[in-house]
Amino acid sequence: MVGSPVLLIAIPLLAAFVIPLIGMIWKELVRIIPGLVLAYMLILSATLLYYVSYNGTIVETIAGWQAPWGINLDFSPLTGFLATLMSALGFLVWLFSYRFKRNVDFEPAKKYFIFLMLLIAGAIGIVITGDIFNQFVFIEITGISAYALTAFYTGRNSAEASFKYLMMGAMASSFLLVAIAILYSQLGTLNMADIASKMHTMNPTYKIIALIFFITGIGIEAEIFPLNGWAPDAYTEAPGPVGAAFAGIVVKAGVYAIIRMIFTLFDVPGAYDFLIAIGLITLIVAETSALRQEKLKRMLAYSSIGQMGLVIVAFGIGTHEGVFAALFLMLNHAVIKPLLFFSGSSLVFNSKKKQIAEMNGLGKRMPLMAAFFSLGAFAIVGLPPFAGFWSKLSVLSAAANEGLLLIIVLILIVSVIEIVYYFRVVNRIFFQEYSKEQSVVPHRPRINAMVAMFVLAIAILIIGFYPDAVTGILHNAAKDLMNTDQYINNVLQLGQSLTR
Amino acid sequence: MSTIILIFIIFLGGAILTFLASALKGILKEVLFLASVFVPVVLFFTNISIGQTFSFQAAGFAFQWGITPLSYVFALIVAGLGLMAAIYAVSAMRNKENTGFFYFNYILTIMSMLGILFSRDLVSFFIFWEIMTWSSYLMVVYQGKDVQTVGIKYFIFSAVGAYAMLMAIVVVYSLTGSMMIDSLVQSFPGFSFDMQLLIPILLLIGFGVKSAMMPLHVWAPGAYSHAPMAYSSIFSGALSKMGIYGMVIVMVSLISHIPEGHWFREVIAWLGGITAVMGTLWAIKQDDAKKLLAYSSIGQLGYIIVGVGIGTPLAMMSGLFLAVMHALFKGTLFMVVGAIERQTGTSNLTEVTGLIRKMPWTFLASLFSIIALAGIPPLGGFIGKWMLYESLIVSDHYLLVIVIFFSSTAAFLYCYKFLFGFFLGQEETEWSHVKEAPAMMVVPMLILAVSTFVLGVFPGLILNPINEAMQTLGYANTQGHLWEMSVIFNEWGNQVAMQPIVYTIIGIFLFFLTFLTIKGYKETRYVTTKDISSSGEVPKEHENLTFSMNFMQPFFRAVEPLMRRQIDKYYNGFANGMEALFDFTRRIYTGNGQTYAMYVVIFVVLLLLLKTPFSDN
Repeated sequence: MVGSPVLLIAIPLLAAFVIPLIGMIWKELVRIIPGLVLAYMLILSATLLYYVSYNGTIVETIAGWQAPWGINLDFSPLTGFLATLMSALGFLVWLFSYRFKRNVDFEPAKKYFIFLMLLIAGAIGIVITGDIFNQFVFIEITGISAYALTAFYTGRNSAEASFKYLMMGAMASSFLLVAIAILYSQLGTLNMADIASKMHTMNPTYKIIALIFFITGIGIEAEIFPLNGWAPDAYTEAPGPVGAAFAGIVVKAGVYAIIRMIFTLFDVPGAYDFLIAIGLITLIVAETSALRQEKLKRMLAYSSIGQMGLVIVAFGIGTHEGVFAALFLMLNHAVIKPLLFFSGSSLVFNSKKKQIAEMNGLGKRMPLMAAFFSLGAFAIVGLPPFAGFWSKLSVLSAAANEGLLLIIVLILIVSVIEIVYYFRVVNRIFFQEYSKEQSVVPHRPRINAMVAMFVLAIAILIIGFYPDAVTGILHNAAKDLMNTDQYINNVLQLGQSLTR
Repeated sequence: MSTIILIFIIFLGGAILTFLASALKGILKEVLFLASVFVPVVLFFTNISIGQTFSFQAAGFAFQWGITPLSYVFALIVAGLGLMAAIYAVSAMRNKENTGFFYFNYILTIMSMLGILFSRDLVSFFIFWEIMTWSSYLMVVYQGKDVQTVGIKYFIFSAVGAYAMLMAIVVVYSLTGSMMIDSLVQSFPGFSFDMQLLIPILLLIGFGVKSAMMPLHVWAPGAYSHAPMAYSSIFSGALSKMGIYGMVIVMVSLISHIPEGHWFREVIAWLGGITAVMGTLWAIKQDDAKKLLAYSSIGQLGYIIVGVGIGTPLAMMSGLFLAVMHALFKGTLFMVVGAIERQTGTSNLTEVTGLIRKMPWTFLASLFSIIALAGIPPLGGFIGKWMLYESLIVSDHYLLVIVIFFSSTAAFLYCYKFLFGFFLGQEETEWSHVKEAPAMMVVPMLILAVSTFVLGVFPGLILNPINEAMQTLGYANTQGHLWEMSVIFNEWGNQVAMQPIVYTIIGIFLFFLTFLTIKGYKETRYVTTKDISSSGEVPKEHENLTFSMNFMQPFFRAVEPLMRRQIDKYYNGFANGMEALFDFTRRIYTGNGQTYAMYVVIFVVLLLLLKTPFSDN
C-alpha cells in the first residue's frame, strides 16, 4: 500500500493551494508540481485498484466518525477504475498543456494549473465519496474550476460561454440541494449506503421528486439533453486540453453520479427506461447537430455529448453486459476524445476562427497530427481494429440480449451520421489541396504534447488489438456497480465493527 | 505457431514496414511490398489445407479461423488477382506521390479479404469486413478527386451495409449465444419466422452493397473510377466478390430453410437481373473508360447475383464460375485502362484512338478480356453465360432469360466501344509518341488474359473446386452429368464441348493466315490510314475520319424511358433533406443562455407532470 484513497483528494487540493506559494520560489515549479502530483496520483490509484480487485473494496472513514454519521470514502473496483482513469487523463492533460501556449507566462499558467488541480480533485471526489452532501460539495468544486477554465482565454466569447456554464451550474446546484434536503428530511441520513438501505421506507412521491431533482441537477454536469446547452459553447471557447479534460474527466464524474443514484440509491425500476429514452434523445440530437457544425471543437463537443448519451443508454439497459458496455464506452471515450481534442487543437492552433473549412490539406503539412486525428476519428466511429469497435459491439450485443432491436437500429443510424461528419474532416485534412489563403498556418506542437498524443494513440491500438487488456477490470467494475447489497454492507459493516 | 496466424502477421507487419520504408528512396519499398503480398499468398497455397483451423478467445468472444471449400474458391480469386495486380501496381505507381500509403492500403485490403474468407465466426468476419471497407475507402479518395461526394457516398453505403450486418450479428448472438457461422447455420431453421426474415435481409443489405446490387449500387461507378486503376482492378475484381461470397452463404445456408422461402430467391434474382440491365445500359453511355468499366462491373455482378439467387446447382455453378471469370477479365480491363492512362494521360474513349500499333500487347490483353466479357466462345465468359441461360430456362425463368439476354447483347455495344475507342480507328498525330507500357504492367495483364482463355477451354479446372465447394454447401456432385474437364452437358442430353470449338477456331484462323500469306504476299502494299478516297475526295492530313462521339444514339432513344429515373437522385434528395433537418436540430442550441435555462425548467416540469416513466414499479 502506497497510501490511502483520501490522498487522491487531499493531495491535489493541497497542491492547488500551494502552487502560487511555490511559484514565488521558482516560476517553473508552477508547471512542474502538478505533473508530479498527478503522476503520484496515477501510481497511487493504479496500485489501489490492483489491491482492490483482489482484496475487495476499501472503505475509509474520515476523522474517525463512523459510516452513517461521518463521511466515508469508497474505493471499489468501479470507483477505483474511474479514479485511475481520471488521474491518468489528468496526467496526460498536464503533459499536453505543459507550455501549451508558448506565450503563456507565469500568471495565466498559475491560474490554469490551480484550476486544473481543483477540477481533478473535485471529479475524483465525486466518484469516491460515500456521502451525498460531500458529493454535492465536490460537484461545486468541479463546477467552479470548470467555469474558470472555460473563461481562460479572457475574451468576450469565453466570458459568455463561461457565464452560461455558471448559470446552468447554479441551477444544477439548487436542484441538487433541494433533492438532498428532501432525502435528509425523509430519511435523516446523508450517507449514500445508509440512504440506499432505507430507501424502501420512503414515500414514493417524495422519492420520485427527489430523483427528478437529482437527475436534473447532475444531468446538467453529465450533458444530458436538454440540459446541456452550456456544453458546446464551453468546449468551443475553452482551450483544447481543457476540452479534453471536460470530456474525459468532468462528464465522467457526472455520469457516475447519475448511475450511482439510479443503480444504488433509488429503487425505481422505471428509471432505467428513462435512462434509455433520455440517452437516445441526447445521442440523436447531439450527433445530428454535429453534422452541420463549422467549428472543429464545437463538432467535437457535440460528438462528446452524443457519446455520453450512448453511455447512458448502455447503463439504462441495466444488465451486467449493459453496464460493462457502458464502462467500456466511458473508457474508450476517455482515451479517444482527448486524442481528438489534442490533435484537433494542434491542427487549428494558428487559426483565429478554428473552422473546419480551414483544415484543407493539413495532412501534408502536419502529417503526425493529422494521423493522430484520423486515428481518433476512426476509433471513435467504431471501425475495427481500433478501440471504439469493441465498446460499440458490446453495447449492441447487450441491447440485443434484451431484445431492444429499435435501440440497435437507432444507434446504428446515428453511427452513420457520426461517420459522415468525422470523415468529412479527415477528407479535408488529407485529400484536399492546401491553399495559402484559406488553410491554417501549420504549427509544430512541442515534444511533450506529441508524447501525450502518442500515449493515447498507443492505448487506442492496444485496446483495439487486445481488448482483454481492459475487459477484466471493466467486468469487475460492472459487477461492483450491480451489487447494491454489497455496497451497503461494505460501508455500514465497517461502521458497526468500529463501534464494538 | 499456426500458419494461419503467421499469414496475417506477415501481412500486417509487411504493411507497416512498407509504409515506413516508403520514406526512403530506392527499390526497397517495392521489394517489401511485393514480398508482403507474395510471401503470405505462397504460404497460403503451400501450407494451408482445407479444414485446418485456428481458434482463440478475445473480449469474451470465441474466434475461429479456417478455410472451407467455398472460401477456397474465393481465396483463389483474391490471391491470384491480388498477386498480379501487385506486380502491376509496382510499375504503375512508380514516381507517384504517397506510394507508401497506397501500398499500405493495398496490403491491408488483400489481408482483410483473405481474413473474411478465413473467418469462421461472425466477429472476425465483421472486423475484416470493416478493415476492407476503410482501406478501400482510403484508396477511393487517394487521388483527392471529389472526396466529399464520391468518397463519402461510398463510405455511407458501406457503413449502412456493414451496420445492417452488425445488427444481424448481434441479433444472432443474442439468439444462439454463439458467434460461429456454423452454429448460425445449424440453429437457423429453429428461429421464429420474423427472425428468419430479418437476419437474411440484414445480411443481404450488407453483402448487396459490396456486390453493387440494385438499388445499393450507386456508390460503385464513382468509387471504381476514382481509385487508382491498379487498385480498381482488385476493387472490382476481388473486393466485390466478397459480397458474392456472403450472398452465397446466405442464399444457400439460410434462405433454403425458410418455409415458403423460394420467393426470396426470385426477388434477389430479379434484383440481379435489373442490376445487369441498368449497369449495362449506363455503361454504354459512358465516354470515360473508367466509368464504362465501373458500370460494366455492376452489370456483370448482376449476372452473378442472378445465378446465386436462383440457386439451382447449375445456376449456382454458373454464378461462381462467372465470379471467377469476372475477376479475371475485369481485373485485366482495369489494368488496361490504367496502362493507357499512364501512357497517354487520359482515359477518355473519345480522345484516344488508334493505339493498336503503339500498344499491341495491351491490345491483345484487352481483346481477350473483351471477348471473355462479351461471352463469345472459346473464352471463359461463354461457359458461364451458357450455364446461366440454361439454368434459367430449365428452372422456368423465361422472363429473366429475356432480361439477361437483352443486357448481354447490349453489352456488345460497350465492348465494341471500348476496343474501337482506344485501339482502332484513325491514328492521330497527337498519340504518335505513345509507347507500350512497361513489361511489369503488360505481363500481369497478359497472364490474366491467357488464363481466361485456358479456363474457357478447360472450365473443369475451376469447376472442380467450385463443385467441391457446392458439395459442402449441400449440393449433389455435378461432375460427370453437368460438366467434365472441357465439356458442359445440359438437361436435354446435348453437350457443349469446348475443345472442338477451339480446334475449329484455330483451324479457321490458321487457314486464313496461310491463305492470306500465300495469296496476298506479293500484292501487299503498306498504306497509312489516310490513303483512301471517298467519293473522289482525298482526305487531308488533319481531317478526322473516325468518330467516337455519341455512339449508339438511336439505341439510346429507344431505351431512354428506362434510364430517365435515376435512383441516385432519390438518394441525393434524401441526403439533402436530412442535412436540412439536421440543420434544424442544430438550432435547438440557440447559444442563448435564457433559452437553455428555459429548457431546464421545461425538463423538470415535464418530468414532474409525467411521472409515469418512474412510477411503474
